[in-house]
Amino acid sequence: MQTNQLFLIFCSVLLLLGLAAFFAGRSKATRVRASGTSMYAQPDQYAWFAVVATAGPAILVSALGAFVMLVMGSEIPTFPLLLASLVVAVVGLGIGMVLIRSNFHARQAIERVIVWTLAGAATISILTTLGILISIIGEALNFFQMHSFWDFITGTTWAPGNSFLAAAGRGDGSGAQFGSVPLFAGTFMITAIAMCVAVPVGLLSAIYMGEYAPAKVRAVAKPMLEILAGIPTVVYGFFAAITVAPFIVDVADFVGLDASFNNALAPGIVMGIMIIPFISSLSDDVINAVPDTMRQGSLALGMTKGETIRDVVIPAALPGIISASLLGMSRALGETMIVVMAAGMRPNLTMNPLEEMTTVTVRIVAAMTGDLEFDSAETLSAFALGLVLFVVTLSLNLVSVIMIRRFRDKYRVNNL
Amino acid sequence: MNRILKTTVIAAAVMSVAGVAQAREQINIVGSSTVYPFASFVAEEFGATTNYPTPVIESTGSGGGMRLFCNGVGEGTPDITNASRRMKVSEFERCQENGVTDITEVYIGSDGIAFAQSNENDPMPVTLEQIFLAVAAQVPQNGDLVDNPYTNWNEIDSSLPDREIVIVGPPTTSGTRDSFEELVMEVASEEFEEYGGEEYSDVRTDGGWVDGGENDNLIVQRLTQDTTAFGVFGYSFLEENDNVLIASTINGVEPTPESIANDEYPVARTMFFYIKNQHADEVPVMYDYAEMFVSDMMIGENGLLKDIGLIVPTADAVEESQQAVADRAELALEDLE
Amino acid sequence: MSDSFDQISQQLKRRHRKSARLKYISMGALGLAAAFLLIFFADMLSKGLPAFQQAQVNIEINYTEEAATNGRAAVDPEIMSVVSRSVVRVIPLEMRNNPELLGTTQNRWVLADGPVDQYLKGNRVRLDDEEKATIDQLVENGKVDMRFNTTFFTRGDSKMPELAGIMSAVMGTVMTMIVTLAIAFPIGVMTAVYLEEFAPDNRLTQLVEININNLAAIPSILFGLLGLAIFINFFGVPRSTPLVGGMTLALMTLPVIIISTRTALRSVPESIRHAAFGVGCSRWQVVKDHVLPLAMPGIMTGSIIGLAQAMGETAPLIIVGMVAFIPDISASFTEAATVMPAQVFTWSGEPDRAFVEKTAGGILVLLAVLISLNASAVLLRKKFERRW
Repeated sequence: MQTNQLFLIFCSVLLLLGLAAFFAGRSKATRVRASGTSMYAQPDQYAWFAVVATAGPAILVSALGAFVMLVMGSEIPTFPLLLASLVVAVVGLGIGMVLIRSNFHARQAIERVIVWTLAGAATISILTTLGILISIIGEALNFFQMHSFWDFITGTTWAPGNSFLAAAGRGDGSGAQFGSVPLFAGTFMITAIAMCVAVPVGLLSAIYMGEYAPAKVRAVAKPMLEILAGIPTVVYGFFAAITVAPFIVDVADFVGLDASFNNALAPGIVMGIMIIPFISSLSDDVINAVPDTMRQGSLALGMTKGETIRDVVIPAALPGIISASLLGMSRALGETMIVVMAAGMRPNLTMNPLEEMTTVTVRIVAAMTGDLEFDSAETLSAFALGLVLFVVTLSLNLVSVIMIRRFRDKYRVNNL
Repeated sequence: MNRILKTTVIAAAVMSVAGVAQAREQINIVGSSTVYPFASFVAEEFGATTNYPTPVIESTGSGGGMRLFCNGVGEGTPDITNASRRMKVSEFERCQENGVTDITEVYIGSDGIAFAQSNENDPMPVTLEQIFLAVAAQVPQNGDLVDNPYTNWNEIDSSLPDREIVIVGPPTTSGTRDSFEELVMEVASEEFEEYGGEEYSDVRTDGGWVDGGENDNLIVQRLTQDTTAFGVFGYSFLEENDNVLIASTINGVEPTPESIANDEYPVARTMFFYIKNQHADEVPVMYDYAEMFVSDMMIGENGLLKDIGLIVPTADAVEESQQAVADRAELALEDLE
Repeated sequence: MSDSFDQISQQLKRRHRKSARLKYISMGALGLAAAFLLIFFADMLSKGLPAFQQAQVNIEINYTEEAATNGRAAVDPEIMSVVSRSVVRVIPLEMRNNPELLGTTQNRWVLADGPVDQYLKGNRVRLDDEEKATIDQLVENGKVDMRFNTTFFTRGDSKMPELAGIMSAVMGTVMTMIVTLAIAFPIGVMTAVYLEEFAPDNRLTQLVEININNLAAIPSILFGLLGLAIFINFFGVPRSTPLVGGMTLALMTLPVIIISTRTALRSVPESIRHAAFGVGCSRWQVVKDHVLPLAMPGIMTGSIIGLAQAMGETAPLIIVGMVAFIPDISASFTEAATVMPAQVFTWSGEPDRAFVEKTAGGILVLLAVLISLNASAVLLRKKFERRW
């Protein structure tokens, strides 16, 4: 019999047992109650307690078995495991039934289980972070055993060529160089272009919406910016590659400059557009949170509206604005599809945005999708790059959180 | 009460959905990204013209495919792997160790690498050595290896035009790049004694060589607009765009289906797929797929795969491949050595 | 007093001019964003709308003895060159599955060949003048016509541009999203309920909170690396399937759902909780019977937005292998599948130029779905929003 069918049978039996527990528990509780004894809980609560007592331990046992099988690699045959779980379920049912007595706090018992379940759910998010860390660090360590960490961080040549040959079975991969500086240079260049577009446009839009715009304009502008945020990045990537990049090449040709079709400008600009809503919406919230008394005070001193905004509102909102920009920046650093589709593949250490450049995320995708074996140095380098990316974005996020917290404490705003 | 019944019904429904889709008629195929377009074409045809589901093909690279293929027999291992080279002895041995002992090798044709430019230029015949000198990171000069100094073609050979060297080619993660390094770089480097007889395949990174990336549309666009640039790509891609591109002859041989199939053209490679015969009972459909792949309709003289760029084998070789599938011929170690 | 009255009023004028300038500049910034949105949609529409039209030909199919083995025999050789191969190749199968067809003749509108379609749409194609003349002749006779492209919405991917459709990707998206929601929604809501209603305010809780905020800002591609290393390599979940894709996206959607659920829970006034406690409810009963139902609209809104975000995500799915060629439409959690944005990505890399139009067409479908999802979230919020 196949595992899936076994599993199906297991689930249905467990379901039936649960139903049986529910009705048996309820009828027993009702009976006890009908006999005139007062009970701590409602019959339904006893019924649910019986269900929990039946299914809970059984599911735990089978999950534990599966986990042991995976982690320890020891072969526990599926059939005995599931059978054992069912036996546990029956035992649980029996114990549950015995426990249904007038002096038993069924409601509290259920509630304890519920709280533990909820807390268990809350740990999933921690497990996710841990999972990311473990998976990335583990493979990155493998990589750093092949190539030195120092060369990786400071090397200026990214030439995995030979490691590729090693993966294909020829050569020993000794000539490969994994200096990540050109990749990070490309990443930061494209990010910088994106921020040059996103910060002014986003911030000024936020100022307009927060300080000037009539309610009608706001009602249109907010959803419009939300649409910008909702466009999938693969769509932005297509737009950058098919429309913006050729346009930039034409313009560059027109003014007598030489531009690559995979220039850094196109993905940078489009990425900037993508980030506008992130910056504008958070800045808008922050500007709105600046207390009106400050504006009133400034206006009362005879400042014009523009001066009030420039000298009072913006400085007050600055931590929030910086925090928004940092969040936008961390998004730009980790953005993948736009650069995969529109930026180049050549690691290129240059300051000219019209040349082609590659980024960390492009390399990660290239390494994970190409004709490569999983243990080749180039594939593993994706994890090393991912690790650095993780660390950089993590620190940006933390700084951003601290800034916004400072702002919140200063003005006692709760909704940020 | 009502709610409990409803929940039960929903849970039962979810479980029954999880339980369907058991019997395996679907073939699992992995392997080379070079063979991938041809294999997926056959797979689509197979799905459309039979009542079986379309085989699932994953492009894992030749090496990656072999690794998965040789992982063992049974559930979770692929039935067929594609390769743009023959199985290596080490891979064969690994297969044997893991119990994959009955393998059939099927030859399906060749592919060539074209060296092409915009057709607004005059044709520029080149030799392997000239391409090598234009692309290599370090080149021999006066008995020493120095960083590639060439910026224009006429510096390499005065018979070539005074034109800047810009070559757009596949990135290191592509199978075409592997072939390029193997068939052009390594072969040519053996001609120069400065490399000490070692195969040299490092590509320059100072701008003479540009990694083209995944988007082929942009490579064509780039070649049509940047008329100084040359492109390196699979022959199939040249055929697709022969209205805007012209290929250079290499060592005097023009890339044509004929010259590639009979190995006259110096940069060509052969393609295979390997069948795991031990899955014959589990997935008998895979022989129908293999038969369709080697049928005259696909790889025959006017086969459909020819239209999408496969260099089809000679009539004799096609027959041999068909025979191999029909006999489920077992691959032996001697065949590979 | 050195400043004369005139000087001061001039200075004032200058200051007001400056103030007005800020207003116009900031207005311009917003206008710029709007202008981009317009350009973007105009560009996508102009590129993508042709994909919804498809050249079709009217042919007679003769189900003869010979056609049972060679589909080409069923069609008039003269018109053969403009008929898509996808039509002819299935004729033998049709006849095998339905033997009664033998000897009958059917008049049908079928797909025209890819280049014909491209020629009629005015794109550059590799057809010689004679072929073009034939097509023009057929168009005049009404034998070839542009019709609404149902193929695009009913078929899976294909190597033939005229046959390529988005349906298998839509199906894959549906299956993936079911997995994502089935995991992210309960866990997200449970986490939020725990943090808002049950958790003691200690270091551990704070750690979870910081961690969730951080998770929301981690680049999506890193979730792909997690999916590959943990789900595929460690737990052995099959590659390329909606199951692994959905699980990966679920982890990504989790923080969005948690954060919006917490906001929704927080907006339920304390007085409701106090009242419920007052009549003897336990903590869980307060949450289950009073707080959660009141917060539900907010939770739903957040979940829909999270879902829309997951639906548009591509990068982590590339890493777990969901960018695959899937011609069959199948509703399975454990078979290889692709999703809409991944389909767009695949098509954008096809060398055949006819696929540019397919890509943009796919984008239009994707955008339509996402915008309607987001709009429904906004409507939901508007309809059920309650100010306490």
